[in-house]
Amino acid sequence: MAAWDYPPEVHLLADLGVEIEADEASTVARIPVTAELLGPDDGVHAGVIATLVDIVGGVIAVRALHPDWMATADMSLQVVRPARGPVLEARGTVVRQGRTTLVLEVFVTDVPGDGTPVAWSTLTFAVLPRAADAPAPEDLPGLPRRSSFGPGRLDGHVLEAAGITATGEPGGMTMPVADYVRNTIGALQGGVVALFAEVAGAHAVAAALGTGRPAVAVELQVSYIALGRVGPMVTRVRSVTTDPATGSGLGVVELRDAGADDRLTTVVAVGAVSA
Amino acid sequence: MTDVRPAGHEVGAYFRFERWELPPPAGSEGPSAFAGRAPIDDHQRGPGGGLATGGLLTCIDSMGGLLCGLAVLPRWIVTASLSVQVLRARQVGPLGFHGRVLRQGRNSVVSSIEVVDEGDGGARVAESVVTCAVLDPGEMALGFTRPLVIPMPPPAATPEGVESFFGIEPGEGPVTRLRLDDRLRNPWGILHGGAVATLVDVAARRAAAPDVVGEPVTTGVVVHYLAPLRVGPVEARCTPVGTRADGTVVRVALHDTGAGDRLAALASVTVRAV
Repeated sequence: MAAWDYPPEVHLLADLGVEIEADEASTVARIPVTAELLGPDDGVHAGVIATLVDIVGGVIAVRALHPDWMATADMSLQVVRPARGPVLEARGTVVRQGRTTLVLEVFVTDVPGDGTPVAWSTLTFAVLPRAADAPAPEDLPGLPRRSSFGPGRLDGHVLEAAGITATGEPGGMTMPVADYVRNTIGALQGGVVALFAEVAGAHAVAAALGTGRPAVAVELQVSYIALGRVGPMVTRVRSVTTDPATGSGLGVVELRDAGADDRLTTVVAVGAVSA
Repeated sequence: MTDVRPAGHEVGAYFRFERWELPPPAGSEGPSAFAGRAPIDDHQRGPGGGLATGGLLTCIDSMGGLLCGLAVLPRWIVTASLSVQVLRARQVGPLGFHGRVLRQGRNSVVSSIEVVDEGDGGARVAESVVTCAVLDPGEMALGFTRPLVIPMPPPAATPEGVESFFGIEPGEGPVTRLRLDDRLRNPWGILHGGAVATLVDVAARRAAAPDVVGEPVTTGVVVHYLAPLRVGPVEARCTPVGTRADGTVVRVALHDTGAGDRLAALASVTVRAV
């Protein structure tokens, strides 16, 4: 599927109601904040913010690197206060474009608002050079000033829509790699990967804090190792540390593709605070 | 071929960081793992009582570089990004380092390094991921005796504090400067990645100090290495992004003021009170 035909009509990104606005200076993605996107602190889930960041980053990267292709190598997301909208806006810019990597920076704000960020992210994309004998690339169509990924019709909570379910162990989660959450090359979409890890990490931290209250993810450090193609995806909590004085903790979560020999696909450090 | 020196040889020696390669078992393929140990000399302790975060970052960067570099020989690597979560600031020492390659691709290598406090029953100190870009070293191809062992240097005759060693000027506020001394250069003549990370740590703590009740300590760092730092002085310009229950998030941009003020690194740092 070409990047500009993505996402298909039935897809999580379409159901989030993403709108893209781009000009020569910057690229912006927006989603309406609805109850289906909120976590225990009534702020938008960090993983949903990561998805918005990944979208704006992907749009920038596709255009910057054409005719080469790219893969998200890592993402750092810091959520500094609950994101409540009514619209969430991610504005991205290129920090550095090199031969092998593209580094972007994305600020996320509530709209309308005072312009101070609710979240800040940096992303690295690995450049995948087009093979010399590959067919001539399609021309990149001109991006309209505004475009929409879909109508925004999520009719259940985003975690249910993505198919994320708890296994019963602290930080234990599983989800299928369904078409609904795949990226342009058929693997689990990078932002959804972050959402999956966020839920697992926050769950593990809450269990370790032992207060009976849920924890809210405020920091994600995502290292993408391999693609999750088969599924189901499962989480393994590598370590959890907590600081009862601040009601915070850190869970380091591995994501594995159980259908592909339990292959390690992602390592995510999830910082979380008690709700 | 150039005989290897520990990357940023004087930097590695300063922290007395010993490392040894752990080749894969006979008959199996794959990159080597690495283990290492760093004592915590008193003059290198930071505000939390353990190894100054800059020292921790330097050791992690050095081990990550070796892990990734040996995996792609005869090519070599440059660090593209470093992500470190500091789990405990109080440490007894020595610190033990355990590194392995997570992914080896054509253009990049990703490694994971865990740090434990050997003097405190093996308590976890830090988790980290180092991502390196693969490059052709040209005339500067490095040679190694395998398995590689870098022994622990003796204690310094004249102890020097971390900020002084790294040429970081005293000060406070949102801008911190580093003099690019030759002893801080790696074999390619550019500022050692550990020095970059140390400057990021010090600058962020100074910038966050007004927002933190108590002595600031760094709990998380992500550094994107964007361009080599060759000239200096290097200026770290900090912007607090926000404060939450677990600390203050600071954006740090490093500029090479002697090279057209080029942006050379961008970092995210979380700082909280000890």
